[in-house]
Amino acid sequence: MPAKKVILVTGSSGLVGHGLRAAIEQEGRRADEQWHFVTSKDADLRDRAETEALFDSIKPTHVIHLAALVGGLFRNLDHNLDFYRTNTQINDNVLATSHKNNVQKVISCLSTCNFPNKAKYPIDETMLHCGPPHETNFGYSYAKRMIDVQNKGYYNQHGRLYTSVIPTSVFGPHDNFNLQDGHVLPGLIRRAFDSKADGNPFVIWGTGSPRRQFIYSLDLGRLFLWVLREYNEVTPLILSAGADREISIKEAAELICETVGYHGEVIQDTTKSDGQFKKTVSNDKMRKYLPDFKFTPFKQAIKETCEWYAANSDKVRK
Amino acid sequence: MSDKKVILVTGGTGLVGRGIRAAVEREGPREGEQWHFVSSQDGDLRDRDATEALFDKIRPTHVIHLAALVGGLFRNLKYNLDIYRINSQINENVISTSHKYNVQKVVSCLSTCIFPDKTTYPIDESMIHNGPPHDSAFGYSYSKRMIDVQNKGYHMQHGRTYTSVIASNVFGPYDNFNPENGHVLPGLIRKAFDAKADGNPFVIWGTGSPRRQFIYSLDLGRLFLWILREYNDVTPIILAADEESEISIKEAADLVVNAVGFKGEVIQDTSKPDGPLKKTTSNAKLRRLLPDFQFTPIKQAIQETCDWYAANPDKVRK
Repeated sequence: MPAKKVILVTGSSGLVGHGLRAAIEQEGRRADEQWHFVTSKDADLRDRAETEALFDSIKPTHVIHLAALVGGLFRNLDHNLDFYRTNTQINDNVLATSHKNNVQKVISCLSTCNFPNKAKYPIDETMLHCGPPHETNFGYSYAKRMIDVQNKGYYNQHGRLYTSVIPTSVFGPHDNFNLQDGHVLPGLIRRAFDSKADGNPFVIWGTGSPRRQFIYSLDLGRLFLWVLREYNEVTPLILSAGADREISIKEAAELICETVGYHGEVIQDTTKSDGQFKKTVSNDKMRKYLPDFKFTPFKQAIKETCEWYAANSDKVRK
Repeated sequence: MSDKKVILVTGGTGLVGRGIRAAVEREGPREGEQWHFVSSQDGDLRDRDATEALFDKIRPTHVIHLAALVGGLFRNLKYNLDIYRINSQINENVISTSHKYNVQKVVSCLSTCIFPDKTTYPIDESMIHNGPPHDSAFGYSYSKRMIDVQNKGYHMQHGRTYTSVIASNVFGPYDNFNPENGHVLPGLIRKAFDAKADGNPFVIWGTGSPRRQFIYSLDLGRLFLWILREYNDVTPIILAADEESEISIKEAADLVVNAVGFKGEVIQDTSKPDGPLKKTTSNAKLRRLLPDFQFTPIKQAIQETCDWYAANPDKVRK
């Protein structure tokens, strides 16, 4: 019987935390795993003393560190300094306290937006530090990159297995559906539901041509479980569906309208910018480890997310 | 008549700090400028409260931030994590306390060793974040790079003029003359004095062919004064001698031998590696702003440094 794991999940009330919870429920709890999902209500991780008190109380052997100050385009633009300093503080507190408490493994969560803005595609894990990130959220991105720098440091100096994953665009229940600072897929879902309710046309921003890889939060959760149990490299791991599963914004929008049952007018506002045409990331490293991992079919994942949205109007973050 | 400046120099007793002091002394005190050179004895900048107490006491309007935990190759290799975290803490304390106390300008000190390991030459200011630094000192390098990231953040969010300079191959009085972890020129000076004293040959490592730009600490100090008073760009500026004044290690050794008055045997140990033949740093940005700045001739600078070394055996860091 393997040694018992006491797993602390920080930032657990977010999209990824719920995906992780869903994955555990789908799989069924394992006897050797004890899970603690915490949020800022349990401890303010910007504060060292509160972080230590949390660790003292839970005594984790493993940590999945999802907590962060996240913002969306507009908030980031004006507050890059705060995003850098606050996230740096949180990350230092969690990593250093983990080390102090002899936590065996910490898995932090980076993002593909932390990669260099000027890059050769497909992007892979080796490129993380190879140029400045996009201007709009450089504070957030550098704070995240420094997790990887510290992971390397903790390994070199103390032999710690502190690592990180890099998901592509995640979507699912409990997402942020706010149009100003949420992401593209939840934005389309929100607008489809709004259009269905108020009869206004459904507007797609830009040409709809840009292609993106998305990952369903449940699938991300399943992959997190594998990383927790089996991934023993300190260097980051991209978690994404393959490039062959890229879809265009327009294709995603059409699928969402069909799923939501919106049959009204669809307008393309081509005055809005498209952003990058392709931002393909490589999941070769993940596939070397998990050649047979099956992602939830996109259509089904969208259906489940829309059903959740419709059934949980009180919970939806708008 | 410019406003009164109260200038706090952290790390004021090191090579660069002494160079600034020498420049201030040579120029003569300027009306309206009050200088405070501090060291760790005046306040442990790793500690937030101690930092605030120092700022409370001195009430600086300007800060030249030189204080850092520096390592040298051997200490760095093993302790990258500590060097990253401690320097990050010092920098965070100094810069955010500066902001809190409404300091008008902070000039921090970076180094060309923090640049990407894989790079083209000449190096210029735009390249700092274009790739990972050399592995042996990644902790130090990233902590310094994050000063530049924060400077940008403080400017965008608060309109602060917090900036940085990039110096390398600095030499002069009060240097670290330890051959294990000091730099090449002080190493040659130390070896020449030792060879003169004990009658052994003076050994130059490698072929002596690699060419380097050296900058005298007094000249660096003079440039710091100009930066303090006139440079209002938050992006970094390289402070380096002209490419034309690069000299080979052999030429440097000859100048040292002359200055020290060593008359014994000079040996070249070609079994030792050379390092890159040229590592030219571009001072084009500096020359655009200061086309007429005259560097101290290297022969004179080396003579002055050797004279200081001979006259101050008790002060020499070995």
